[in-house]
Amino acid sequence: MTNPFLPYLATVKGVTQLTPDIKLFNLELDDPEVREGFDYRPGQFAFVSAFGVGEAPFGLVSLPHWKAGVEFALRRVGTVTRALHDLEPGAKVGVRGPYGNYFPLEDYRGKNILIIGGGIGMAPLRPVIRTILERRPDYGDLTIINGARSPQDLVFADEFDSWATAPRTRLELTVDRGDDNWSGQVALIPSVVQELKPSPANAVAILCGPPIMIKFTLARLKELCFADAQIVTTLEAKMKCGMGRCMRCNIGDKFVCADGPVFTFEQISHLLEPF
Amino acid sequence: MSQLISRSDLTAWINALLAEYTVIAPTKVDSLALYQPVKRADDIFMDFGITALSPKEWLFPPTETLFTITTQDGTMKLEAPPLDGKNLIFAIRPCDARGFRLLDKVFLAPPADTHYAQRRQNTTLIGLACSKALPQCFCTSVGGAPNDASDVDVLLTEVEEGYLVNIVTEKGQAAVAQAKLIEKDVTPPSPPNLKPVSTEGIVEATLRAYNDDYWERLADRCTHCNVCAFVCPACYCFDVRDHINQGKTERLRCWDSCQAPGFTRVAGGYTPRPTKGARLRQRFGHKLLYYPQQYGDLLCVGCGRCIASCPVNIDIREVMEDLQKLGVKSVSARA
Repeated sequence: MTNPFLPYLATVKGVTQLTPDIKLFNLELDDPEVREGFDYRPGQFAFVSAFGVGEAPFGLVSLPHWKAGVEFALRRVGTVTRALHDLEPGAKVGVRGPYGNYFPLEDYRGKNILIIGGGIGMAPLRPVIRTILERRPDYGDLTIINGARSPQDLVFADEFDSWATAPRTRLELTVDRGDDNWSGQVALIPSVVQELKPSPANAVAILCGPPIMIKFTLARLKELCFADAQIVTTLEAKMKCGMGRCMRCNIGDKFVCADGPVFTFEQISHLLEPF
Repeated sequence: MSQLISRSDLTAWINALLAEYTVIAPTKVDSLALYQPVKRADDIFMDFGITALSPKEWLFPPTETLFTITTQDGTMKLEAPPLDGKNLIFAIRPCDARGFRLLDKVFLAPPADTHYAQRRQNTTLIGLACSKALPQCFCTSVGGAPNDASDVDVLLTEVEEGYLVNIVTEKGQAAVAQAKLIEKDVTPPSPPNLKPVSTEGIVEATLRAYNDDYWERLADRCTHCNVCAFVCPACYCFDVRDHINQGKTERLRCWDSCQAPGFTRVAGGYTPRPTKGARLRQRFGHKLLYYPQQYGDLLCVGCGRCIASCPVNIDIREVMEDLQKLGVKSVSARA
């Protein structure tokens, strides 16, 4: 019986500043056997430890078959993220996981995919986009709406070209307010959805972002006749165990860590508590 | 014919147990009875109704080290602490033993909690049947009984001649190996009568009342002192945090309470359960709806410690009565 609270030791291999408050961490699991066997799917999360400070759950943003480290995109917002943001390559951290369910990407094959990410919400969507681009013929049209407060807050900017130039793929970037160098769209994400008028026919919409963005984007999608079961999101919560045990992340009788974090809006409509 | 042990032989048995186990028994600490390790049979306080705290801390401590982080020659190592040896909880009440059964379903489900599992395996339970019911007791209404032997290894029942000894499990058999038992024709006393509390349809009633403003009204007087979570044998909310102790980093698990205002708060400040009503609904929702839906039993053993301890007299028996009376209302998805 292994202690389920023991994390794997990992070394920070690379840190990339994506935005003023978001960093991409590339971690290498120290034990070669663990490294080989660490398998996960888009949607899942793992706890990253800043030893001495604490542990927090983060979405996995890489794909295991890249064999290029385990990646997380973290926004500097609390005690653990502040401690992690202070780390340099070479530092030791802990990785515990993977936990949670995942986006059923096989079920989306042949469908048109609409991906809508706001700010750090883009992070768990990145491995979804990359999977679709790697298996492009398996999926229908891909529309990506990536929004942020300002141009410098757009996440994964160095991947935009590869996304925009992929076949049958459309990338819409938008910001709440532009700057002197921005010649792109200045609009809130729900307005972009409204303008774009994506068809619900044979489509799946995957959204992730701040609650207010989700609320209004959801409203626009429903006006466009997207069914609740066609709209998918990933929820977050304060977590300590990841195993449905510490009783912190439950929304009524459903655990974000074990029944989620990926939920359709149909499932969300049955949740007992507000979140 | 029953197995009996005389009072003097009981003392001898306890002394034999002390040589083989760490014996945890009720002791008098100021005016309270608490389960503590004892060095001598004399330290055991048998004239107690119920202890102030449940013995859950002996399987699930208020604070425990999950692992320690040390750096040796530049290599970081994570070490789990060695766990206790053979423990024996002496004179555990049937309600408290039932609490362990409820915790087992959570902590022993895969992936099993190694700390809890090891302690559970290493702990023998010698139960003591209740000869009296306290005003706070309602174990019979939630699936238990004052003389329930289901969750102990041995059950002792006090009689005039000493104690009846009911050996329930192999572990119990091993524990009584050095006890001088005599066969005697003694009728076990009838267990005390408890005032029944209706739990009929409580799971459905809790669901029906989910979006009622009852919770905010009930919680108005709650001071979130958290005592209900700490005294309850069936509560298990916990926190995990790192602690630096004389240069060594430890990852600790400690008791927490869903009633604490910051319990669900995320970095950045958003709190999914911002009101006392939402938090009280979580407490009773967990005990009367979520846990029974998943595991079948109510997450309550009827020990009444929360009733006795709550400074503002929030009483789970009254809550159940209120929920059943709230009548049929359609359940909307969100409040």
